[in-house]
Amino acid sequence: MRAPDVQIVMIEPSRIISQGLVSMIGESGRSYHIVRAADFIELQQLVARNPVDVVVLNPGLLQSDSKSFQLLRNEHPGIKWIGVVYSFFDQPVLAQFDGIISINDLPHAIINTIDHVLQMARGQVEESEQESLSDRETDVLKLLVTGLANKEIADKLNISPHTVITHRKNISQKTGIKSVSGLTIYAVVKGLISIEHFSV
Amino acid sequence: MYQKINRLIIPEMKVSEMILENPYFMLMLEHFGIGLVVHEKTVEQICHENSISKGVFLTFANLFNGYDSLTSDVPAIADVPMIIRYLKTSHHYYLDEKLPKIRHYFRRMNELNDHPEMLLSEKFFKEYCKEITEHLNYENDLVYPYILDIQSYLDGGRDESFVKTYSAMDYREHHNDIEEKLTDLKNLLIKYLPQKEDQQVRRKLLFSLFELEYDLNIHSQIEDKILVPLVELMERNLESGR
Repeated sequence: MRAPDVQIVMIEPSRIISQGLVSMIGESGRSYHIVRAADFIELQQLVARNPVDVVVLNPGLLQSDSKSFQLLRNEHPGIKWIGVVYSFFDQPVLAQFDGIISINDLPHAIINTIDHVLQMARGQVEESEQESLSDRETDVLKLLVTGLANKEIADKLNISPHTVITHRKNISQKTGIKSVSGLTIYAVVKGLISIEHFSV
Repeated sequence: MYQKINRLIIPEMKVSEMILENPYFMLMLEHFGIGLVVHEKTVEQICHENSISKGVFLTFANLFNGYDSLTSDVPAIADVPMIIRYLKTSHHYYLDEKLPKIRHYFRRMNELNDHPEMLLSEKFFKEYCKEITEHLNYENDLVYPYILDIQSYLDGGRDESFVKTYSAMDYREHHNDIEEKLTDLKNLLIKYLPQKEDQQVRRKLLFSLFELEYDLNIHSQIEDKILVPLVELMERNLESGR
């Protein structure tokens, strides 16, 4: 019942097509969050502000500005791309998409396409989510909750600050907890640190 | 099967249907100062009766349902005082109703569950309350008055002596990890904090956290996607007007 988690950006110049897609997706019962963007520049701004899961895109844009597309694709490998096809495009253009919506698709086929690319994206995340913390991550966590900064943790463990940041990201992804005070409670529950360290 | 459908809200829709489909609209109505008994009235009628801009109502309602920038009737500078009134009313709801309620549940949890981690969690929430209270008071005391000042200046209502060194960017950046900590708490309560005879209170506590989170999420979307761009526009008008 919470606000939708799936963020979709739509870049489709035709108002009829984009409005049609939005209302079809709306009627499907999925609470996807849909934002419109005019071009890659606007998309870039949106991505910088919030994580985006899926971009629904007119392939024409990819053809006219494949450089921006490649750049975005490399910078944000987590984003899945769906093409909306209602005119002829060469196979190499279409092959760059993770999924294709055709103008003749029925609503359920469109939703299936979106669900399918989302599953592709999630499949990669879930694997790491199911693991428990690695030894190295546990080391980082223990130092983190004593109030040390990334740089200090890096020095103590003889690793680079960049590696510390990667470990922290993985810790948060696995536990679902981001703040240091939240992770402290997690560490106490897991018996990694003793509660006597804290004045309650 | 119980399937949730979040429809696009349109002016002809009955407000009662909106609530029946997504109960969080009860909070939206309250923040707009609209009573809960909406009879058979449509969005258009309710807006007209309560002197609320249809564009603002529809934009907010669709944010509640997970859509954005879909109304042709987008909020304008003239709507700013109404948007601020809405945001202030929701601050009142967080500070005077929701947070104290959640605090009460935490206290109850601690009575029922003597795991020392529970005390840490209560402390975590107290610190969270302090942070969010500071943030909301900062908006009430500084940000909103400033925005309303620019608005009345642009309307010719006052001189420009009020213009301080302040921009909408500061305002956006001040929006920090308020939602992040709520997520942390939910994860702790669902996955990690050991359970004792606290099932009912824990469930009530979690539902309250979800309710707070839903409303806060829309709240910050309203600020970031609607209010901040309007303030930036006002500031540009201010600059060019000089």
